Amino acid sequence: MDASLDLSRWRQTPRGVGYRRGVMIFTGLRQLLQLRLFKVLISVAWSAGLAVAALGFVFSQSVSSGGWVESLAVYFGPRGQAFAAVLSGLVLLYPDICIDGWFTAVFWGHSYLGLTLSLIALTAMVPRLIALDRATHALTVYLSRPLTSGDYLLGKLGLIAGVLALLWTGPLLFGWLLSVAFAPGTDFIVFSFGPLLRALAFHAVALVALSAIALGVSALSRTSRTATMAWIGLWLVFGAMAQPPQAPVWIKRASFTQNLAEARQGIFKLDRALTLAADTLPILDQRTKQNFAGAGRRAEAADFPGALASLAAFVVAACFVFLRRLRPE
Amino acid sequence: MNASSVADPTPSSSGSGDGRAWIIEAEGLGKTYGTHQALRDVTVRVPPGTIGLLGPNGAGKSTFIKCLLNLETPTAGTARVLGRDIRAANRSSRERVGYSPEQDCHIAGMVGCEYVTYCGQLSGMSLQLARQRTHEILDLVGMGQERYRPIDTYSTGMRQRVKLAQAFVHDPEVVFLDEPTNGLDPSGREHILRLIGSLHRDLGTSVIISSHLLRDIERVCDRVLIIGHGRLLEHDRIDALKERHRRIVEIAPAGERDRFLAAFAARGTPAVALSNGRLRVESADGSAGWILELMREHRLPPAEIVANPDALHELFIKAVASGQPGADDPAAPPLLADHGRQP
Repeated sequence: MDASLDLSRWRQTPRGVGYRRGVMIFTGLRQLLQLRLFKVLISVAWSAGLAVAALGFVFSQSVSSGGWVESLAVYFGPRGQAFAAVLSGLVLLYPDICIDGWFTAVFWGHSYLGLTLSLIALTAMVPRLIALDRATHALTVYLSRPLTSGDYLLGKLGLIAGVLALLWTGPLLFGWLLSVAFAPGTDFIVFSFGPLLRALAFHAVALVALSAIALGVSALSRTSRTATMAWIGLWLVFGAMAQPPQAPVWIKRASFTQNLAEARQGIFKLDRALTLAADTLPILDQRTKQNFAGAGRRAEAADFPGALASLAAFVVAACFVFLRRLRPE
Repeated sequence: MNASSVADPTPSSSGSGDGRAWIIEAEGLGKTYGTHQALRDVTVRVPPGTIGLLGPNGAGKSTFIKCLLNLETPTAGTARVLGRDIRAANRSSRERVGYSPEQDCHIAGMVGCEYVTYCGQLSGMSLQLARQRTHEILDLVGMGQERYRPIDTYSTGMRQRVKLAQAFVHDPEVVFLDEPTNGLDPSGREHILRLIGSLHRDLGTSVIISSHLLRDIERVCDRVLIIGHGRLLEHDRIDALKERHRRIVEIAPAGERDRFLAAFAARGTPAVALSNGRLRVESADGSAGWILELMREHRLPPAEIVANPDALHELFIKAVASGQPGADDPAAPPLLADHGRQP
């Protein structure tokens, strides 16, 4: 072993803190992407994104004037042709209800899959966020460098945001862009933008809540098993307890997944889209109107402010936990 | 300078001899955990070089290092590392600083070279530069193909090497090494000590090395800080400390130890018999010539003579004892006592 010093010297100005945070995020993502589970989750998520694109594309191509529905209606006689013409007419006359309603329903459905994939991903990630760093004293490695505990947290938050972007936001945006790129009119862009913003708003709420809770749970323990069990308990056990309609309110508020479900109802406003369709669209018969109105009532958030307040309480409690543990041990 | 709660911050023989600024400046630095004062009123200015940080367990050495790195928040005083205030310039005070902690620390799931590269990037190096330098540094600390294995599978010695590599990767101007030879086999220890000894000489990288192994410190350092009971007890160049130390000569006779003792007693320089079979005498000028003359006069058998052995050990014990409450007690252990040192 030769201990002679023959080094290339490095005396350049170190890159900024933004670069160092980015290194934390991308290195973390690269490590996660080596796991088979993440490869599967990403495949499912982007397949769902393609499905969103397909649903938007098929809808826009079908109901537009001269689209597939009108072409096919020829084979169903004058009644079919009249129905197709009315359908196209409705989209032309009420784009705010038809296009907005369709995309709200699609994004609503996608949010279930996106949230579930994110929760599965976080189950695998929770031990890697803070618990393993505490177990291997990696915090000393980070904090003895030109990084603060705030930078470390931002790096971990960025890692969670990156995972959620890969599994949820990315596929959604990709699906929306692809569906409107081939839309026959600008109405499909303009009136699908509202549902997209609401979907992104729900993503933001979920990102803040899930990030804080995941970091808090990860900071609770130094062992992977305990951290994973705590996360699963908080997600599945409390989620199952809060599921029955007759469950006490405090149990519903104690389940972050239940709170997220109510936040989804409050943010997406699917109830408003259905009620508006039932009240406004002229060709709907009484039974369809009643079905729409009933579905709208069921999609209404029971206690949206309460759910948001509970999520905020989760975030505060989780911050209290992980901020206390962010010192080298 | 002994037994003072605050050692002279700029000892006579110190000074930033090569004209560079101090690497560490602490003013009244203190750290309290509840009612326990881990560090008390440490005021010191340290010039560049290879500096040994000595002190018994729980003396506050690691706390001192952690405070300088902001891993612990000082409860009193101020400090500057490489001229940057550790509180006001939190991040930038660590840009040119490396740290190899005593405890095992790594990032789970990473292979050795990936980990060191990552640490380089965290210090602001580009990926390409960090990769290039990682391999140079891993060669330097004696890591072979093991660098491509996950750190979780490393032996203690390999972990120690990779820990040192991450401390050096970004070419720091000052590096703090806490027990850097722990867990290394003799050849590995020798290699790392030679490396540490050459860092300041060849690269200008100052090293603060905390170790219990006084011989290691004596071998590679040109200056020592002795900390005891949270206080800085001594700070000076090693040769200056030795100058201040009473001249001690140790004799390991091949036989007839009693005749040696009688000869020294007859000369009026009584020798102390140590538990390891050696004799210890005080020499006015530190030379061993008069001992050879005495052996010739009394026809004594051959003996190994070592001038000023374990001066650092003696200084360490003396400084720590003087730092204790009741240090002025005349019943304190005399310098010539056998401190249980093993041969």
